[in-house]
Amino acid sequence: MNENRRSLLEARGISRRAWIAFVIVCASIYLIGVFIWGLLLNPETYAVHYENKFLAPSLAHPFGTDFMGRDMFYRSIKGLSTSLVIGVLAAIVSSFIALFLGIVSAVFGGWVDKLVNLAIDLCMGLPHLVLLLLISFMMGRGVKGITIAVAVTHWPALSRIVRAEVLQIRSSQYVQTAYRLGVSPWKVAVTHMIPHVLPAYFVGLMLLFPHAIMHEAAVTFLGFGLPAEMPSIGVILSEAMKHIVTGKWWLAVFPGLLLLAALMFFDAIGENLKKLWNPSSGNE
Amino acid sequence: MEFKKVTAALLSAAVLLGLAGCGAPKEQNQELATVQQETQKQEPEVRGVTAYVGTSIFEDSLDPIKGGMSHGFPFINNALLRVNPDSKYVGDLATDWAVSEDARTYTYTLRQDVKFSDGSDFTAEDVVFTYEQVMENPANNENVDLSRLESVTAKDDYTVEFQLKEPYSPFLDTTAQLQIVPSDSYDSGKFDTMPIGTGAWKMVQYDHNQQMILAANENCYYGVPKLPQVTLVYMDADAAFAAAKSGQLDVVMVGTSYADEQIPGMTLIPFETMDVRQISLTVQPKHTVTTEDGKQITVGSDVTSDPAVREALSIGIDRQKIIDNAFNGIGRPAVNFTDNLVWASTEEYPDGQVDKAKELLENAGWVDTDNDGIREKGDIRCSYEVYSAGGDQDRYQLASALAENAKELGIEIIVKSASWDEVTSLEYSAGVVWGWGQYSPTVLRSLFSEKLFMKGMFDNVVGYANAEVEAQIDKALAASSQEEATEAWKQVQKLADADYPYLYLVNIEHCYFVNDNLDMSPETQVPHPHGHGTPVICNMNDWNWK
Repeated sequence: MNENRRSLLEARGISRRAWIAFVIVCASIYLIGVFIWGLLLNPETYAVHYENKFLAPSLAHPFGTDFMGRDMFYRSIKGLSTSLVIGVLAAIVSSFIALFLGIVSAVFGGWVDKLVNLAIDLCMGLPHLVLLLLISFMMGRGVKGITIAVAVTHWPALSRIVRAEVLQIRSSQYVQTAYRLGVSPWKVAVTHMIPHVLPAYFVGLMLLFPHAIMHEAAVTFLGFGLPAEMPSIGVILSEAMKHIVTGKWWLAVFPGLLLLAALMFFDAIGENLKKLWNPSSGNE
Repeated sequence: MEFKKVTAALLSAAVLLGLAGCGAPKEQNQELATVQQETQKQEPEVRGVTAYVGTSIFEDSLDPIKGGMSHGFPFINNALLRVNPDSKYVGDLATDWAVSEDARTYTYTLRQDVKFSDGSDFTAEDVVFTYEQVMENPANNENVDLSRLESVTAKDDYTVEFQLKEPYSPFLDTTAQLQIVPSDSYDSGKFDTMPIGTGAWKMVQYDHNQQMILAANENCYYGVPKLPQVTLVYMDADAAFAAAKSGQLDVVMVGTSYADEQIPGMTLIPFETMDVRQISLTVQPKHTVTTEDGKQITVGSDVTSDPAVREALSIGIDRQKIIDNAFNGIGRPAVNFTDNLVWASTEEYPDGQVDKAKELLENAGWVDTDNDGIREKGDIRCSYEVYSAGGDQDRYQLASALAENAKELGIEIIVKSASWDEVTSLEYSAGVVWGWGQYSPTVLRSLFSEKLFMKGMFDNVVGYANAEVEAQIDKALAASSQEEATEAWKQVQKLADADYPYLYLVNIEHCYFVNDNLDMSPETQVPHPHGHGTPVICNMNDWNWK
């Protein structure tokens, strides 16, 4: 299949790199577009209009309207944008934690390594959703609770990847030489290791986004996350639940697709970056 | 389906063969046959009813000792008094009652020839046992408050005397709430799900968070129910609606947002309730209070502490429009408690007086100086936060509809949602959408008594303080007759309503889709108290097929 597509693309004179770049650019336009559009959106566009209750999708309201006559298209854009904000925050915080712990653990080894591994096992041992609910509840729920919960629980998997990469680099000749020459572990980490870990780190970071966004939506859907007055995909979907049975399918389908598209685009960016940066596939 | 039938046939054949093989006596076989015949014969004649009346009935214990079914619609046990369709108290297990001159002794004459569903006789001993159980374990029962009861004694088999520590007229309500359990067979563990009582129904099967199967109690002294069986099912609201659509339910409670829907063979019936929705408008100016446990709590609002704002909101909004927008037009506009309560104030005023409301606001200095549609006074913006608690979408919609309406007056209402435990710290400085609906007038004390401010969880959250009102509350509590108490309670409302500390919006109606062949006897329904849909079962013994 892949081979076929490749030869097809090559036949048309499109290199694989160009194709990857195209996918990444498209996905980025969608994601960044939604992100910025949502941030700048005028609240009037998704305000309450009781005269427009439960309108099916039409040209005026592409996603239909809900039980308060709010336009679901703008509300979904705003909601997805909110989710992206939380996702970005979570990805930044979690990835820094992961990078730090992964490098520290691999460079210093010994009891530091054991401690970090213990922390990773501890966090991964608990079902993620339960951990999120606990932290969100403890932090007072609402925007603050959910943001902190999502931000501080997404590092373990990435930490392991970073640690494995660093372990590999540590045993290489030039790093060993650096050590023998008396270079301090910190300096080795910063000058020799971080640059090599970065590609894997960025790919991990991209793949972390969909998790963070999905988890925010899930916790909100369950009623422990964002409050009802904030448009967010989780709130929209849990409200839609009440009306699906009466045939208001558009309340769930379109916001759901919008979320799905965002997740798949993040995934596409991550996967394609991996291909591009991985030395064995990057030049294909 | 085919497979099931075949299996069933094979199984029953095997059972019969087995019985025959063991040499079972012939009578047993015959008995089995007759039972089968009987059930086959009965079922097509009188079918039972399957109903969804919300899930709250499954969430609490059914044991009266632990507060089960104490809101005025019991169906297994009975209290001494009950509420009739006119919201008046009439005798149930008691035929007559008298209050002494000092208002501290209540004497009840009990009905004779009443039997519990297990066949034992109902006597004064059971009443004493029930009340003493609750007095000994008050922590188990948060619905019935017997803290003012000193003693309960059986004067003879059919007379009970209650001695109170202090005069307390709402004690009468208590005797309508607490239902009597049999002293001989009371079992605390079993009664949570399978209580034994004198009522029209007995529990046949209780499956946690699935269903309750109730059968008619032939021993019932006020007549055997017309239906042989009622099954109350536990479902999600949307699943219940879907089940009704596919013909599996005869009665289904729905939210008002489903009111426009159609179900073939069923009709939507809105039932009268005494449940009102109101928004607390804090009367104190904004300041910080340190509680006994050292917590800093913000109290009051500089907007609603101005009586003009509260009055303008009360008279200026259009309640019918709010109900149309939020509840599909179901519910009645309310400006105070409903007149289907004996003690409720019936004084009304017209709303929608936009011009008068605007004049009030302008005279009080609230003017829109920056032309954003919202008034200001100095640097205070005429804006008030209102919380809808506990994920109740109806309340959220009500608050949102109010916010739209208040905009026309130049008042901004910011609708927010929060959990009930978050509300306990926000309720003193922001509005909350409250729901009140109970037969006992003690709600008025909760709403207006200065003594309760910041004491209970949800009492007097507006910080209302009025010595005259306080005096009337005391007078009502100490009254020796219901007439006297009612008079004082009406005074309480008359005085307090003049300050508009609560913005009454709607007297809600409970909506049910009902099978067209089922007669739910609306004339014997009592006005529903607060109860998330369950109160419709109050007259289950009068339900019948048409």
